[in-house]
Amino acid sequence: MHTIQRRLLLGTAFALPLAGPAWAQQDIGRAASFIQSTGQDLVAAINDTRSDLATRRSRVAAVLRRAVDIDGVGRFILGRWWRHATPQEQAEYLKLFEETLIRNLSARFGEYQGVRFSLGRSQQRTEDDVLVNTIIERPNSAPFALDWRVGDVGGQPKVVDVIAEGTSLRLTQRSEYSAVIQQNGGQVAALLTAMKRQIQQLAQREQQAR
Amino acid sequence: MRLMKTTLPCLAAALLALPLLAGCAERPDPTDPDAVAEFRQNNDPIEPFNRTMYSVHQGIDKVVLRPVAVGYRKVVPQPVRTGIRNLLGNLRTPVILANDMLQGQPRRAGDTLGRFLINTTLGLGGIFDVASSHFGVRGHSEDYGQTLAVWGVGEGAYLFIPILGPSNPRDLTGFGLGIASDPLTWVGQGVAVDALVGTRTGVTVVDTRESLIDALDAVDRESLDSYATLRSAYRQRRRAEIENRIGDAAPAAAGGTGFGVGTGIAP
Repeated sequence: MHTIQRRLLLGTAFALPLAGPAWAQQDIGRAASFIQSTGQDLVAAINDTRSDLATRRSRVAAVLRRAVDIDGVGRFILGRWWRHATPQEQAEYLKLFEETLIRNLSARFGEYQGVRFSLGRSQQRTEDDVLVNTIIERPNSAPFALDWRVGDVGGQPKVVDVIAEGTSLRLTQRSEYSAVIQQNGGQVAALLTAMKRQIQQLAQREQQAR
Repeated sequence: MRLMKTTLPCLAAALLALPLLAGCAERPDPTDPDAVAEFRQNNDPIEPFNRTMYSVHQGIDKVVLRPVAVGYRKVVPQPVRTGIRNLLGNLRTPVILANDMLQGQPRRAGDTLGRFLINTTLGLGGIFDVASSHFGVRGHSEDYGQTLAVWGVGEGAYLFIPILGPSNPRDLTGFGLGIASDPLTWVGQGVAVDALVGTRTGVTVVDTRESLIDALDAVDRESLDSYATLRSAYRQRRRAEIENRIGDAAPAAAGGTGFGVGTGIAP
């Protein structure tokens, strides 16, 4: 636990050489309204059944690029293997990571049709982020709670993690990616291959779900 | 001392698994602090053995557990399944109540006792969760593994047990204590009692697996390494449960270890 916090701190420090002390002052109200508007944009894009698939996907992609600290989260998830990767592998990994994030959502357009979203009760501050609680409701499905961890990146609020039922997505995904690399003799390239295959599968599901 | 801490559980598990001796995980390079940190973080010194157990489980799940759960969902209508889950939760009251008290949580113990009285009477033996729907007192889960954790007992090395799911020595001990301390284990003898206890166990397994169909399907489909995903999710979720951080996320029918506690993965 301790090492995670240290790594997090380190990661933030590298990502924000110019932000100064402002990042420690993440404001709860600002984070909540940021999540509110981001959520509304995402829900609008998902439920926009009049546009074609590509248009909806690019709308979702634009929201995610604006709202998520994709480079920071991607680096956090690759964790200790970032140093082992060549600059080309790092660049390709970040590209694939962004694509995975977008396709993971666009492959679920069908499932998420009619989704609604609202701010939950508890908004709380952690050491340097704010956790914004939301409730996701889908037709014919029990509502569930998602917590969004909002950090301050270069003076802008950005999503840095998503937490469901006490489980942080970036921690789970870091375990997953690291296991893939380890099971393949420490080759980062093996992860990149697996990610490409996964993106293809997501693209197929996206087509089938229409 | 540090050596003992990591090799002992490994040794014990290896002894238990003598016929299947799959060996222990490769030690990380001691000169790479990040690798060492990750090895500790994963808390899985017998990973090769656990992965073997996981593939055994996946085989059983594919042929028996999942098909039965899918059939149950198809045949039994939703309201009946909810009634069955409520009933199982109500039957877990003695274990939940004991652990509320052992953890020094009188308010939660009061909730548990009040829910039992209301649901057993107005809720027709626990089929209807009127305590939650009409009185706003939601159920929560507790077990001996959580109490041991609150008392400061460490989890020990990660274990994957076929059918049961992700666990560790502490949660497994708690699971055993839960069975041993359950009045229903001791109510009497005879064919009728055995049949009842057996039925309850069987229904619990099916109910648990049914509740996880969507989450586990998603993991199987989307994770690049489902073993590692489940390991991370189980340990994070368990920590949240021990700290009572997730409120009502775990239903009262949730078990004390393995897949019974849920996967911590949103569908």
